[in-house]
Amino acid sequence: MKNWIPAATGLVAGVLAATVFFADFSSGPSGSATNDHANKTNAEKVYVPFGEKDEYYLMASGGHSGQMFIYGVPSMRHIRTVPVFSPDSATGYGFDKHTKELMGDYNWGDLHHPALSETDGDYDGKYLFATDVGNSRAAVMNLETFTTRDIIDVPNTSGPHCAAFVTQNTEYMFLPTRFAVPIGSEYASLDDYSEKYRGVMSAVTFDEENEKLNIAYQVALPPWSYDLSDAGKKMSADWAVMTTYNTEEATTNLEINASQADRDYIVLFNWKELEQKIQDGDYDEVTGQKMIFPEKHKGGIYLVPVAKSPHGVDVTPDGEHFIASGKLAPAMTVFSFQKAFDAIENEDFAGERNGIPIINYDSVMEREVDPENALGPLHTQFDDKGMAYTTMFISSEIVKWDPKTGETLDRVPVQYSPGHSVAAEGDTVNPDGKYLIALNKIAKDSYLSVGPSHPESMQLIDLTGDKMEVIQSAPVNPEPHYAQMIKADKIKTISIYEKEENNPLAAYNQEDTRIERKGNEVHVYGIAMRSKFIFDAKAERPDVIEVNEGDKVFIHLTNIDFDQDITHGFAINSYDLNMEVQPGQTNTIEFTANKAGTYPMYCTNFCSALHQEMTGYFLVKPKS
Amino acid sequence: MNGKRLSAVSSFLLVAATLLIVASLFFPWWKMEFFAPQYPEGLNIIVYPDKLEGEIDIVNGLNHYIGMANFSEENFPELQYLSYLIGGLAFLVLMTAIIRRKSFLYFVIGIFVIGGLLGVWDLNRWLKNFGTELDPMAPIKVDPFVPPIIGENTLANFVTYSHLGLGTYLVIAAFILLLIPLWKDRQK
Repeated sequence: MKNWIPAATGLVAGVLAATVFFADFSSGPSGSATNDHANKTNAEKVYVPFGEKDEYYLMASGGHSGQMFIYGVPSMRHIRTVPVFSPDSATGYGFDKHTKELMGDYNWGDLHHPALSETDGDYDGKYLFATDVGNSRAAVMNLETFTTRDIIDVPNTSGPHCAAFVTQNTEYMFLPTRFAVPIGSEYASLDDYSEKYRGVMSAVTFDEENEKLNIAYQVALPPWSYDLSDAGKKMSADWAVMTTYNTEEATTNLEINASQADRDYIVLFNWKELEQKIQDGDYDEVTGQKMIFPEKHKGGIYLVPVAKSPHGVDVTPDGEHFIASGKLAPAMTVFSFQKAFDAIENEDFAGERNGIPIINYDSVMEREVDPENALGPLHTQFDDKGMAYTTMFISSEIVKWDPKTGETLDRVPVQYSPGHSVAAEGDTVNPDGKYLIALNKIAKDSYLSVGPSHPESMQLIDLTGDKMEVIQSAPVNPEPHYAQMIKADKIKTISIYEKEENNPLAAYNQEDTRIERKGNEVHVYGIAMRSKFIFDAKAERPDVIEVNEGDKVFIHLTNIDFDQDITHGFAINSYDLNMEVQPGQTNTIEFTANKAGTYPMYCTNFCSALHQEMTGYFLVKPKS
Repeated sequence: MNGKRLSAVSSFLLVAATLLIVASLFFPWWKMEFFAPQYPEGLNIIVYPDKLEGEIDIVNGLNHYIGMANFSEENFPELQYLSYLIGGLAFLVLMTAIIRRKSFLYFVIGIFVIGGLLGVWDLNRWLKNFGTELDPMAPIKVDPFVPPIIGENTLANFVTYSHLGLGTYLVIAAFILLLIPLWKDRQK
């Protein structure tokens, strides 16, 4: 009868213990509600405390700084500046042998639209591509080290603004040009513009194993300006689209003269077909490049009429539509890939322009979307539900709308004049939603004043609620033309450079350090370590390099601190030289000792408590 | 006669002890962890019977500031032969299991105790050498110190923790297995 007593007391004791250990008696909100995005204040949404990390990387183009800026989202903290087309003494970029060679003879670049490498239309987090509108180059950055690995000159073209975009398995990166020039950039009178000038597009491939870019072929498109572009996805994966302006072929005062025609074009091309042409030998060899002339090597390229002077053209995540933003026309136009394919199949053309068939506008146009008073649509990104977000440069706002119905869903003002925007993985087959960043061209009075000119501005917009909400503003150096936002866990960086036992330039042991003379060349195989340089361990003063005036000096320096973030720098006073050796890295600096005298050398990257002692002397004996 | 023989169960325990000793060769015997404000994740020196593991180069790089000698496999001749000694011990235990003579077991336990004491003495000798024979030219002068074999020590910005490794615990377990037959086959 009394059997229930032990059972009941056991239960009571259990409940009591559970209450003591697990119940939450604290006041205020509790449980998962505090983690709900919608219940957080704006400050909480962007605050990332020490010990935690941002959810996304933002790779923002640095425009005419020639650099890439790496930010964390949602904190909007600037994490790193990666030099690409411009020298950077902070990292020795453009000073050491490898990066000096990469930079060629150029001292700056205008880094426009970055593109992450893709696998199956999704970011794979391996590489980032970018183009230089200033000096017509293309570059690739490795995302294990966030360093530039290769830069190529793109001949026959001038200012690949309309890039970079990659096909869905990074087969190609296409670089259409902003400025038309004669083939080979030869001299030709502007009176002969329509006959002799071309807007050449380059198809660039990337050899991942050797980290080398290569131009597979080029296409001599008409002498128009090519503005922005996107690759197809899924059902449209073999295709790509790009916008044009100045189909008027004006040669002066483009502001007026390139804005006359009511319609310009979207160039629609099938890169698989172009690739086949190259394989079949259906091209001309020009300036050492395989060049497709569309009027001669017909097929694979089509024109779609579009409201005049469009800016962005963006493919929807499902790959079924492409959306052109009007810029001068206050509307976005939604086109159907399927309809375009049908029109091509049925040769539903409205004549030709420069030997390229023009598809009937009404056959491919799905709808024109014209939100009330929204002016200057430039560029569109997408969220996880397929909704579109278009920047309005002139009316300074972001408009959210449904590409399937054309309905305007929401609008939010931004300060001021957004060019591009970037959503979380917003140009992939699988956008995340969550965040959108407006990349504003003008900050004006948004931040503490620094004189007449101000930085640009980025504004973080929360997409999780019913209404878009600007939750953070951050100044950014010139100039965020476009950016890529990738989930942080897709990026796999290394923390040190592994030993390369076969690298003849590396010295990993003190006994291997040496200074070798070959005629008037001096080769130094040295070590940097906390907190000393060793150039020749057997010398009376291992941290001294002595050469003769006029000698060619090669200093190979290996950082043998295989310890994350223990980076050493190496500078020679008054020799205008500085380089960096990251943990485990071997780096080379080459120069001529053309100034006799005594020049201290020192570590420029603060490395340890005895960093200040990490010095040596570079002695240059004068010619007698 | 019977009292001088080990039972089948004891023999089985001795075989198990042999296996534990052999297994210990593949695990660390001793470990020292270093923590500093700049190294919240910790640096390690992990000692196996025949090798060192862990962030030895980084530890050496830092230790040179106080003039401590380098840790390296060449500096510890024991690493060349320790695994053979341990293997020999395992062989002796296995022999005991086969010949099942209590007197031989006493002998092996004796070897075991002497070996263990020598090991402790040797480790302590090294710790003392490293902590007290500091280069007088070192940029940072510290008072000589002897880190404990087990436990915590603070030196400049580093706190070190020394532990026994799984290998040592396996050997201790083997030693206990050696003692059980003494009790189990005691004279009644």
